[in-house]
Amino acid sequence: MLISCNKLKSHIKDSHDIDWLKIWDTFTIRTAEVEGVTVKGQDLKDVVVAEIIECEPHPTKEKYHILKVSDGKEIYDILCGAPNVRVGLKAPLVKVGGMVSGFTITEKKIAGVVSQGMLCAGDELGINDDHDGILEFPSDTVVGTDIKDILPVEDIIVEIDNKSLTNRPDLWGHYGIAREIAAITEHELLPLELAEVTNDKEDLKIEIKDKDLCYRYCGITIDNITNNKTPLEMQIFLHYTGVRSISLIVDLTNYLLLELGQPMHSFDKEYVKEIVVEKANDKDIFVTLDGETRNLTSEMLMIKNGKEYSAVAGVMGGLDSEITDKTNSVFLESATFNAASIRKTATALGLRTEASARYEKSLDPNYADIAIKRYIKLLKDNDEGIEVSSNLTDVYPTVLEEGHITLSKELLTKYLGFNLEEERVVKILTSLDFKVTVTDDAYEVVVPTYRATKDVTLPADIIEEIARIYGYENFAIEPLKLDLTFEEHENIFTKEYNVKKYLSTKYYLSEVHSYMWYETSLLKTLELEKDNVKLVGKNENNILRDNLSLSLLHIVKENLKHESNAFVYEIGTVIVNNENERHLGIVLADNENNLENTYYKAKEIIVNLFKEFKNSSCEFIKNENAELSELAYDINVNNEVIGTLSILSSKATSKIGKKKAIVLVEINFDKYCEMEKNTLIYKPLSKYPFTTLDYTIIMSKDNNYETIKEVVESFENEYIIDYKLVGKFELENETKYTIRFTVGSYEKTLATEDLQQFKDSFISLIKEKGLNIIE
Amino acid sequence: MQEQLKTIVSECIKEAEKCTKEAEILEIKAKYLGKKSELFSLLASLKDMSVEDKKKYGSLLNKIKQELEQKINDCLEKINSKSKISFDPTLPIYEEYGSLHPITIVAKETTDILKRMGFTIVSGPEMEKEYYNFEALNIPSTHPARDMQDTYWLDNGLLLRTHTSPNQVRAMEKYGAPIKICAPGRCFRNEDLDASHENTFFQLEGMVIDENISISNLIYVMKGLLKEVFKQDVDVRLRPGFFPFVEPGFELDCSCLICHGKGCPTCKNSGWLELCPCGMIHPNVLEMSNIDTKKYTGFAFGLGLTRLAMMKYKIDDIRILNSGDLRFLKEFTGQED
Repeated sequence: MLISCNKLKSHIKDSHDIDWLKIWDTFTIRTAEVEGVTVKGQDLKDVVVAEIIECEPHPTKEKYHILKVSDGKEIYDILCGAPNVRVGLKAPLVKVGGMVSGFTITEKKIAGVVSQGMLCAGDELGINDDHDGILEFPSDTVVGTDIKDILPVEDIIVEIDNKSLTNRPDLWGHYGIAREIAAITEHELLPLELAEVTNDKEDLKIEIKDKDLCYRYCGITIDNITNNKTPLEMQIFLHYTGVRSISLIVDLTNYLLLELGQPMHSFDKEYVKEIVVEKANDKDIFVTLDGETRNLTSEMLMIKNGKEYSAVAGVMGGLDSEITDKTNSVFLESATFNAASIRKTATALGLRTEASARYEKSLDPNYADIAIKRYIKLLKDNDEGIEVSSNLTDVYPTVLEEGHITLSKELLTKYLGFNLEEERVVKILTSLDFKVTVTDDAYEVVVPTYRATKDVTLPADIIEEIARIYGYENFAIEPLKLDLTFEEHENIFTKEYNVKKYLSTKYYLSEVHSYMWYETSLLKTLELEKDNVKLVGKNENNILRDNLSLSLLHIVKENLKHESNAFVYEIGTVIVNNENERHLGIVLADNENNLENTYYKAKEIIVNLFKEFKNSSCEFIKNENAELSELAYDINVNNEVIGTLSILSSKATSKIGKKKAIVLVEINFDKYCEMEKNTLIYKPLSKYPFTTLDYTIIMSKDNNYETIKEVVESFENEYIIDYKLVGKFELENETKYTIRFTVGSYEKTLATEDLQQFKDSFISLIKEKGLNIIE
Repeated sequence: MQEQLKTIVSECIKEAEKCTKEAEILEIKAKYLGKKSELFSLLASLKDMSVEDKKKYGSLLNKIKQELEQKINDCLEKINSKSKISFDPTLPIYEEYGSLHPITIVAKETTDILKRMGFTIVSGPEMEKEYYNFEALNIPSTHPARDMQDTYWLDNGLLLRTHTSPNQVRAMEKYGAPIKICAPGRCFRNEDLDASHENTFFQLEGMVIDENISISNLIYVMKGLLKEVFKQDVDVRLRPGFFPFVEPGFELDCSCLICHGKGCPTCKNSGWLELCPCGMIHPNVLEMSNIDTKKYTGFAFGLGLTRLAMMKYKIDDIRILNSGDLRFLKEFTGQED
């Protein structure tokens, strides 16, 4: 919202005491965020009121006139192309050396004529957007006067962030902002000048049918309007605050919207017979002022003229009742509507207007009649002959009263963290127009209605008013008090972090972040159908992921466009059976000929995640049904499936990257975190030495280590401490595996006979199972 | 005999000097000084000699023995001190690194700071109930944030949480008061992506409830947190801000780290960066979660972790954070504490 400091000054007594450039930093920290401060009129210099004393058409150049112009002291030759030049016209003249729009005017020879300056249109001066002709001053304007002395072209325009005003309906007009500035700077706010309305005429026919949606409706009619020309001063104000000047009748409604924040609407009086405020019928249509045809629903509140729609309440008027050049009597509406209803309607129509933006903040109905009295006053100032032709008809079923809040002194101190003296509290609240009575232990506060619509309803709201005007920068800074009670401890975050750090530093993986949903393009590429929870109202990327490593293939695919490998992981949420689950997903993608290494890297990571963090071991159980897999294992810990390890099928792999091998790991991280660590119980070292025994077993290539493992695991001997595979050697048709047993006892040093017996029974077991062993 | 000794000495020295390995030296030592050596038998024969000869040869033999021992030790030391480096020590190492996501790094840093102030880290679900995301936070059903344009609603009636604030409600329900928690997490808003807008981003929620918690406490914690995060004194300002779940509510700004408050495009020439909405927890929010508002007050804040990471590492396009682009992510190798 744009705010004119000139306008603010007119509402504050002794406003010259205020530094109007600097005050906005304070306003930002007391009230609402200021986004920018612009000084207007700096690009205008030496522009004076001049009179045309001679006016001849240019002999050759069509539409141009050669003028003699006087500034009261000298006569200037001016070439001018504007259509409205004539002898006696008073207009703004920029002399040579003067400046408009930041350009310095020089003496110029145009079409054979030396022009000693320039007459300006409104847009050239930057005070309105009129370029139809040069600006015309009233005939009584004194020639030679600098325009800065008679027009408010010099101003400071402030842009306030609308978002920071969402809860302050009272600040959607200059008068509210002026009140706030007055409170901040300890100045006096001047009362508004209003017209007296005698109400000795007829009431208008106004009926509110939906009282929940329309809180108040004021109407009045005004006849005999003869002047439709908005004074330049007001034009400049409107232009500076971003509103286009149209005609006095319309401009005044906009002016009051900007002054009081109260939207008004002027209908041509000829059109309006009887006002009815009620909801529209479903599927009716209505043409708004902007010429657009709108589809109505039964939730939209309308202003009707009898049975005809004449405006979308609080949003926009209709084309039929629009004010035209011929309008000389108006029906003026000033009403208050339900905020949520206006917002819904504006959103549904895709039509957010200055009026709807204000209504949806919850306006104070008590401003509706003030706006009308103010309108009449301002209209009369510019058009003395107007006649009010009806009573100010006011339908106001439930009057909004001031709010009453008791703020205990104890609560105030508790919130502030320090004691603020009573006098100061009262002064702050009074400056904001709150009425305060102090009792022994509380402040009894009366809240003005324009703050009571929704913003100030609780003691905490009053505390905010006190705290912000006192100034947050003046607060004491108090550390939290020392409390050494044990805090509750949830360590999910730490566990996640530790695993991430482990994967990134020990296994060189990179942590990625991806989206909660499958990329539709990925599912298509993989020819994969997924059915899971979906985002409403989206057709693309709308299926939530239920498998993290699978969804990461999208990222892997992108990376393989410029990298030969990609080792990535994420710990994130997936949705399985309608529930949140945290998963760890790992994808290792490398060149095709590195498949074995890649697979074993993944396997090592899994084994070590359980060994190094849980002191547990896991088992790999072949899963024949896994989707998109060449080979897949379930990861079992304590007989529970906690994840999967898989090699992506060749077909799917080829679509992610050419000549690649891709291994996926998926671990249910919730279950992983819940797993208890196998707590160490110290085992004393044996006093007797252990020894190792190596055996080499030969198997044909169609067999694998799993076979040996099964045999070794079935071997029972009291002296086995542990065993491991220490060597593997490929022959032409066979593979040699070397197993190393560690054998020993906690009771004795093993005798030669013990070792011989061990050897004999192991070799016979191997042979029994049909395997070859090198003796 | 003297001739014999001379030969022994010269041969021993000659052989010892030829040795290149420790084992060879030890062999020489055994040969010339061991129990089977000539010198040993000569020394053994001393006891059968006359007193005169004993004197004469005894000292001579011992002198030679010492001389040889010295020589052999010298040779041994020479061999042992010989350099074993027979490779090129100037090759580069095999470089392969992984990396943590910048958000993870920043989340760890900030939560570590809060832990030092006694905060517990909690977490909550990303697919959330309307009650926790809106209703229990005093966000009325007519509030624009509930519209479909802003929130990802799901076909099962739930939603993807739009902020980390549901963690406040869940923590109050679970632990009651007093409480000090923080909760880093992923949030979602239905937004079109551009350089400064993401539909998936991270926040860090913080909440303190206790007897006599004040605005002054809030300012202390926020100032302290930012000072520790940026490892420098940053100017901080509070200004009124409106959020339904706090009252009074604030926007916390910190002085722009790019221009140090002078004004630049990043801070839209204001010198300040909006960093963190915060405020005193709204009484309605406390009451809905059964916290006794007569006894307790509290404050809460929602720090934009994504924003913080972008500021810290001067990242100018938010989209890169969720791109999974390893060229970008690998830059963060070794950034964590």
